[in-house]
Amino acid sequence: MLVFTRRRHEAIMIGDGIRIEVLRVGRDGVRLGVVAPTEIAVHRKEIYDQIREANQKAAAAPQDLDAIARRQQRRA
Amino acid sequence: MTRVGIPVASEMVAPIEAPAALAPETIRFPHGLPGFERCRGFVLMASEGLGPVQCLKAVDGPSASFLVIDPRRVLPEYRCELSEMDRARLGVQDQDTLLWLSLVSIELDGTITVNLRAPIVINPGAMVGQQVIPYHCVYPIRFVVSETV
Repeated sequence: MLVFTRRRHEAIMIGDGIRIEVLRVGRDGVRLGVVAPTEIAVHRKEIYDQIREANQKAAAAPQDLDAIARRQQRRA
Repeated sequence: MTRVGIPVASEMVAPIEAPAALAPETIRFPHGLPGFERCRGFVLMASEGLGPVQCLKAVDGPSASFLVIDPRRVLPEYRCELSEMDRARLGVQDQDTLLWLSLVSIELDGTITVNLRAPIVINPGAMVGQQVIPYHCVYPIRFVVSETV
């Protein structure tokens, strides 16, 4: 892992299109600003990890289709 | 874009095949989905037997299929604002033209939940989609549905 020491308003560049700037340093956290090309999605990692885990759980097994179909039949 | 023709009821346990001939119906997901980054193309399939639930099946990359539903079918007042970046990635200015789908999970105990936090949004005009994670979104990842589906 590359490690940098940055002060307020200093930034790092990733490639030539992604800039991450330190906006504020507080006691409880660091506020960062990210400038990235449109095609690069930027997320808080913990949210992204939750969505990935939810997606993996949601990947349907064939019996899931059957369960939904049976449920629809009951409701018909 | 919706293809009808999944075998219903008891036949439904057979895996759903998406023949290569249906390629024009493929929706491009340039980034895949989180956890399924190599799945770049999906087809959306409907069946009377599934009611409002549809099946989103990957046609390239690892085998993957998902049950999906319009989030407004489970929560009529559902509304998420897309960021300017998300709209640009989908190639739209007006988000009302988009198709919204939420992933449905059937948990081990049979509980059915819907991911309202990170909807899949598709631009039917461009046949391009992505799973968005809106910055300001009050809805849960695991919204339990009872008899609303």
